[in-house]
Amino acid sequence: MIWLALLGPVIALLTHLSGSAIASSLTAPGALDPLVISVESGLVTLGVLGLICTPLAWMLARGKLPFPRVWEAGLLCSLLLPPLVIGLLLVFMVGPYTPIGELLGHFNLSATNTFLALVIAEVYESAPYYVLGAQSAFASVEPRLEQQAGLLGDRPRRVFRRVTLPLAAPGLAMALSIAWARAMGAFGAVIIIAYHPAGLPLEIYTTLQETGLASALPYALVLLVVALPLPLAAYIWSARAGRRRRG
Amino acid sequence: MLDADVEVDRREFTVRAALQVAPGERLALFGPSGAGKTTLLEVIAGLVPPRRGLISLGDRVLTSTVPPVIALPPWQRWVGLLRQNPGLFPHLSVRDNLCYAPTASPSGSALSELASVLGIESLLSAMPARLSGGQAHRVALGRLLLAHCDTLLLDEPYTGLDASLRRTLTDLVGSLIADRSIPAILVTHELPDAQAFADRLAVIDRGELLQVGAPNEVVLHPASRRVAELVGYLGFVPSGDKVAGIHPERVMAGAFPDRGLVLTGVIPACRPAGAGWEADLRVGEAMITCRLPDKPPISDGEFTVTVLDPPYFDAEGSAVLAARAECGITQPEQVRR
Repeated sequence: MIWLALLGPVIALLTHLSGSAIASSLTAPGALDPLVISVESGLVTLGVLGLICTPLAWMLARGKLPFPRVWEAGLLCSLLLPPLVIGLLLVFMVGPYTPIGELLGHFNLSATNTFLALVIAEVYESAPYYVLGAQSAFASVEPRLEQQAGLLGDRPRRVFRRVTLPLAAPGLAMALSIAWARAMGAFGAVIIIAYHPAGLPLEIYTTLQETGLASALPYALVLLVVALPLPLAAYIWSARAGRRRRG
Repeated sequence: MLDADVEVDRREFTVRAALQVAPGERLALFGPSGAGKTTLLEVIAGLVPPRRGLISLGDRVLTSTVPPVIALPPWQRWVGLLRQNPGLFPHLSVRDNLCYAPTASPSGSALSELASVLGIESLLSAMPARLSGGQAHRVALGRLLLAHCDTLLLDEPYTGLDASLRRTLTDLVGSLIADRSIPAILVTHELPDAQAFADRLAVIDRGELLQVGAPNEVVLHPASRRVAELVGYLGFVPSGDKVAGIHPERVMAGAFPDRGLVLTGVIPACRPAGAGWEADLRVGEAMITCRLPDKPPISDGEFTVTVLDPPYFDAEGSAVLAARAECGITQPEQVRR
């Protein structure tokens, strides 16, 4: 029952959609542009998270940072901040009249109403989920296994590649897929600093405002189709990795 | 030769030890939990930095706190460390675990030969989660041997395994160490494990090495009362201005003055122990424990036992066996209730 109740909105979406409505909505000129923009910005967001937040998560898990509680509190703050507030604060941080905005301006870049702004908003909305998940994944790897690998002759980077990363991979994949879903669905911060170009969530909102619920539903379905497969694949892969380890 | 002379600060005390272990020699580091045994192994392995010390293995200096300061990282030491948790990599098969070290050859005959010696040849494709405790330890041992470590450090590796498996693994490790002619140190708080493994026994307590010697020598002739307590002497009976240490297994029923110290007392209680009986014997104010082959009578009547060649300690707790001979005390006096 609980499972059905949780899936209720998805079931409602499927029961209110007709094939002709989906076709007419998605075959209109430029209808798939929001999808392309969302996927592109989501992929860039994942790249940024992987490159910058993975080392941070590892350092947090291994206690390599001074004042670890302060770092964790910072992450929790950004997790708990309402996305709309994040958007407002980003305006003060990277808006055109801020030092960062002016610096970007020197390179003909802008962090408001651009693809870059969309990526920044998505990174801010998804990063805490990824860092906390990745930290937990790294923490689940026994440090003594890493020690053992070192004693067997592996340098730290090789230990990370051969032991830490494979053992943390299922947890990292789950964290990354949740971050992907959050990035795909990012709306609160996006509507403040990245109204253009419109990704799927914003397209749903503007379509709803301009032409009504029926026109917005196909985009909602597309958003689900794009956002959900990665978490599901990560879940299945993670379960398989667990089974393989159990022999 | 493994040569370690180190001082390591711990929260409660400083661990100070100087150990030399020859190639092919097996040293057991025996002491109570928290005595600093594992710390010593971790210092040799490069996992814990010493405050002061010099560690060398063969002609290589692993650690030196005096100029030129040397602190080789663990991956350059070639020190094999086997802990109670075998530390097999759960995502790798037994074969991949065995061949994990960069110096191990996955296809060489060394792998199949070693797997055969260790009795794990049928497990090579299994995952570690499927192994029993004994099998996991064999794989972990094989991994260290295939890595061609220059020394083997065993940190209570058999805790949790049954007695027969411990003995089998101990014999196996002993023969492999002899074959490889590498120095080995076993850390344990189980005296039988230490005796079964070691050529030499080192007793450590609160970071201090109290005595090093042949296992039998250390047990029969402890250098101090504290060593005696650690190696299983459960009772101490005044004998003149000295104290005699009573090991429960060095007691026999009857009076044999030419074989040791004769004690007479009453037995308030006894209980089965192994194939014999363990009895409490009250001698004056002292209560000693003795292991006897037959059930002793529990009564107010006197019961006489002979403690075989007990060690004697002075008021400071130091052994006084040599002094006893010099003083011409050839026969300990009898202690009566």
